[in-house]
Amino acid sequence: MQVLDKITTMSSQDVLKQIEEMGICEYGVYHGPLAKHLTKSLPGQGTWIAAALNNADTDYVLLDLLRENPEKVLKGLAIAAYAINAEQKILYLPEGQEALADQLKGLAMQYQTQIKTEFLDVRANKGTVRLHLVTAASLSDAFEGIGDDGIYVSVNGSQLKKVPSSTKIEELMDIRDVKAFLLGYRLHGREAAAWTVKEARIANGVIRGLTEKDCIVCETEKRLLQSRKQSCGKCVFCREGLIQLSYMQKEITEGRGKAEYLNLTEEIGAAMGSSTLCSMGQMSAEIARTAMGSFSDEYEAHMKKKTCPAGVCKSFVHIYIDPKLCIGCGECMDVCPKECITGKEKYIHMIDAFDCTKCGACMEACGQDAVVQTSGKLPKLPDRLTKVGRFKKK
Amino acid sequence: MFVMSIPVFYLRIIMIRRFYNMAVITINGTKLTVPDNKNVLDCALENGIYIPHLCHHKDLSPLGSCRMCIVEVEGQEGLIPSCTLEAKDGMMIKTNSPEIEQLRMLALELLLAGHPEDCSTCPKYGNCELQMLIQYIGPKTGRMKLWVKGFKENKENPLILHDMNRCVLCGRCVRACNELRGVKVLQYQKNEMETYVGTLHGKLLKDADCRFCGSCAEVCPTGTIRDKLISSEIRREDAIVPCRHACPAHTDIPRYIRLVKEGKFDEAAAVIREKLPFPKVLGHICTHACELSCKRREVNEAMAIREIKRYAAEHDTGSCWKGKGKQLADTGKKVCVVGGGPAGLTAAYYLRKQGHSVTVKETLPKAGGMLAYGIPAYRLPRNIIAEEIAVMEEAGVRIETNTKVEKPVELLKEFDAVLMAIGGHQGVRLPMEGNQLPGVLLNADFLRNASMEQATGMGKRVIVLGGGNVAFDCARTAKRLGAKEIHLACLEAKEAMTADEEEIIQAQEEGIFIHPAHTFERITGMDCVTGVDFMKVKSFTFDENRRAVIEKEEGSQHHIDADTVIFAVGQRPDISEDAGLILGRANSIAVKDIEKDKRTSIEGIFAAGDVIYGTKSVVMAIASGREAASQIDQYLGGSGDISETLAPVEDVNPYIGQCPGFGYQERHHAQIDSQEQRGDNFNLYDHGICDGEICAEAGRCLQCDLRLKISKPALWGDFTEGKEA
Repeated sequence: MQVLDKITTMSSQDVLKQIEEMGICEYGVYHGPLAKHLTKSLPGQGTWIAAALNNADTDYVLLDLLRENPEKVLKGLAIAAYAINAEQKILYLPEGQEALADQLKGLAMQYQTQIKTEFLDVRANKGTVRLHLVTAASLSDAFEGIGDDGIYVSVNGSQLKKVPSSTKIEELMDIRDVKAFLLGYRLHGREAAAWTVKEARIANGVIRGLTEKDCIVCETEKRLLQSRKQSCGKCVFCREGLIQLSYMQKEITEGRGKAEYLNLTEEIGAAMGSSTLCSMGQMSAEIARTAMGSFSDEYEAHMKKKTCPAGVCKSFVHIYIDPKLCIGCGECMDVCPKECITGKEKYIHMIDAFDCTKCGACMEACGQDAVVQTSGKLPKLPDRLTKVGRFKKK
Repeated sequence: MFVMSIPVFYLRIIMIRRFYNMAVITINGTKLTVPDNKNVLDCALENGIYIPHLCHHKDLSPLGSCRMCIVEVEGQEGLIPSCTLEAKDGMMIKTNSPEIEQLRMLALELLLAGHPEDCSTCPKYGNCELQMLIQYIGPKTGRMKLWVKGFKENKENPLILHDMNRCVLCGRCVRACNELRGVKVLQYQKNEMETYVGTLHGKLLKDADCRFCGSCAEVCPTGTIRDKLISSEIRREDAIVPCRHACPAHTDIPRYIRLVKEGKFDEAAAVIREKLPFPKVLGHICTHACELSCKRREVNEAMAIREIKRYAAEHDTGSCWKGKGKQLADTGKKVCVVGGGPAGLTAAYYLRKQGHSVTVKETLPKAGGMLAYGIPAYRLPRNIIAEEIAVMEEAGVRIETNTKVEKPVELLKEFDAVLMAIGGHQGVRLPMEGNQLPGVLLNADFLRNASMEQATGMGKRVIVLGGGNVAFDCARTAKRLGAKEIHLACLEAKEAMTADEEEIIQAQEEGIFIHPAHTFERITGMDCVTGVDFMKVKSFTFDENRRAVIEKEEGSQHHIDADTVIFAVGQRPDISEDAGLILGRANSIAVKDIEKDKRTSIEGIFAAGDVIYGTKSVVMAIASGREAASQIDQYLGGSGDISETLAPVEDVNPYIGQCPGFGYQERHHAQIDSQEQRGDNFNLYDHGICDGEICAEAGRCLQCDLRLKISKPALWGDFTEGKEA
């Protein structure tokens, strides 16, 4: 608490001035000089101040800060609160983080900070100055004299760590198989490998490399659905926009994509960016916009060629039994949950594609590796029961 | 002049700005002087400039979610919702541009993607704000994925219906429920991915402590939250506050109930007196049509409106109205009111207040009409009648009793106008065998004699024929006069009996036998009544000519012994053609229109009350008397405006707040003397709701009238052409 003792000897204006001189910036979506950020939305007496993740953040990797060094965040929040004479300090955690909130309760009490586990509704908190958790941590560091230009990142889901801002993305992971980088809320092509973490403008600490085994469309849909779960649903563009965006991605994964989806995604995405009140609406469309913008080949493959290059989208995957390899043992028939495999002993087995859910159980059961998955065209297969060894291509 | 006016104009603007913190903003080239910091959308709407909007409502805090009201502001980047934009001096605003139209259209398309397409089957069709937005913004393209929310229409709640499939999540209902009312029942809810509006855990409104104020339905722009009871057939205001509409005199019931709740009994009584000059009388015996239409009935039980009225009237010190009502200067015109019952006295009172000289001529020894000679004293103590008539006499109404008017036309020699309000004091004798036997009595005579403490001719075993309130008055009076065995029989089935339910219950408690669905075959006896032959009714309906069609049960004939039979099957006015007036159905005096025009066949003679429409209720007679007073005043050259303001206008707090268990609060009941205490005397047996409970009873009111104070939506159609954005 030493730092706090020190700042309480200063006037709040002096603290604010010092924040300005230190050049501390707000982290996250609303990047910019902190001193300005603090005073811009200052409504006057009775101000509240809240530290939180950006609403758009659905990955929560930055919560590690609170797990490892909660005091730093609380201290930073206290300094900012002092600078603007805030009456009440609140630490917001995303919904579902009750366990973490319980852990922090005692410490927060020492810092006279209230903890809430809910979505930070900006309408209900008009008079509240909002601060990113990371900003609070940097503020505390700066006043402790631990000034560095490090940036918090979590690479491919690993533990949060601080790296120098000049670190290049390619230095953080093996990029040989990477076709795309998820940097913050956006997807980028391989060109991003050479960017520094600073240039990458990562607003939630997330760095992920997507390989040939990842489907961009599926990934995009998944992230849009996460956003839908988290959105408070009050702004029309955020709520309804996300519904349309996720629907379009889903249609594409199922082979029903339409050419106009690209423009519509862009139009809705841009409107969400400008016509919603918090980062949730402002950032959540970025994944769809960047995915469709940078990976048009992959989208085209889904929409026109009806294939999923990564072999992820089940609609495009076919499972068949190779008539040359099948020995007619019946193992696959026994495990099929849909009972859609026909055959009898010493006869080549066949999968009825209409009922097949592509669960893959037969592939695992086959001792001959005769059950094959392909995202390409099916070879010529028997259309009636044929004895093993008797099937011939015409 | 033109040259001069410009500096004057600017000077005025500067002055206005300086003194009232006004700002001058320009919308689409039109300069508007508006309060500083007021939201631009309301500024525009109030000045006749339409900007489309959906989530915005004048009485609610701005939400800025629907983005329909976006505008461009010179010098500011992007499109800004005008509902959250504060007016600043010099602001230049444009409400239309291709960019604005495109974004508005996109917002509308997104909203409509999840909204049912079948406008024509929606009950809100034609009044839907979303539908009007579609008309304004234009038809949507088909590029969005349409989806269905999949909510079931929820009809389980009383009064309010939820069809959440039509919800566009504008959040007006949530804000109305939370900010405007403080009830906090409706909230945004989240179900995995879908946001919707509802109660916590989908509780029924009653279980969520809803107060059924209806503000959610009032502000809903679509057909999502709707009133179950309101149809287009009744005037909206009447449907929203049905009690006030149901009262023939249109007493401001919610208002006086609220005052009683606050303990302001003088003010409450003054509100009642604004429409009814007999508050105490009605507090005791009103047939309370208001309670039948009370919306609280749908929630659990109707409000005890009559009891609340009675309490207010009994605790009134008169500080609000005594000596303070209207009294216009003397006009020199003279009016004679024939008949001193509720209709006549009411008319007399208001005509006196309009400045006319009024004389009431009453046949019987006391004024009051049916109040004094029809309704038994155990229901209405006579001192109450006298007290309320005294107020009229103090106002200058002259009452001449024991004066029978045979020829009303002759009164016109002395008076400028005459009102016939003679009521219906002649009982009806059904044409049936034995109806003239000694021991056969008529309701009106019997009750009048009992009231005058004269011999009634009643024996020990009485049969009352009839099923209305008067029949019960006869039966219960007979009980109190010492009859040993009393039967009451009527044609109607029990549910169809016109008597109040409490009358039926109390009569049974007093040992009176009730025989519904009985035909009266004959009164038996040679020299005097020995009883009545009855048959049971299988069905009782009316044909297309409103004639009764009765089907009897075969072999159900039976006989009840009696020495007295009282006909209580209606009363007729005691008048004949000799009076010189044209008579109508059932011996009534014919008037041009029972409600709107009370002129009789003779110029200068009017008629009101039971004598024009048959036996109804006291409150109806009062309403009829008021209407007649207004018309006669006009006839005599007055304005016809008999309204008066007696209660101080109060600021009503629309923030009704939370009240746990509100919907389950039971109706409070009057204290009623036991059958043993009341059965043998004419003392008042109903003592009303006690002091400790009256405020709680008043607190049960849904305050339906608060809803009328909510601003109406600003619709595109209401804006003149050429001015809209």
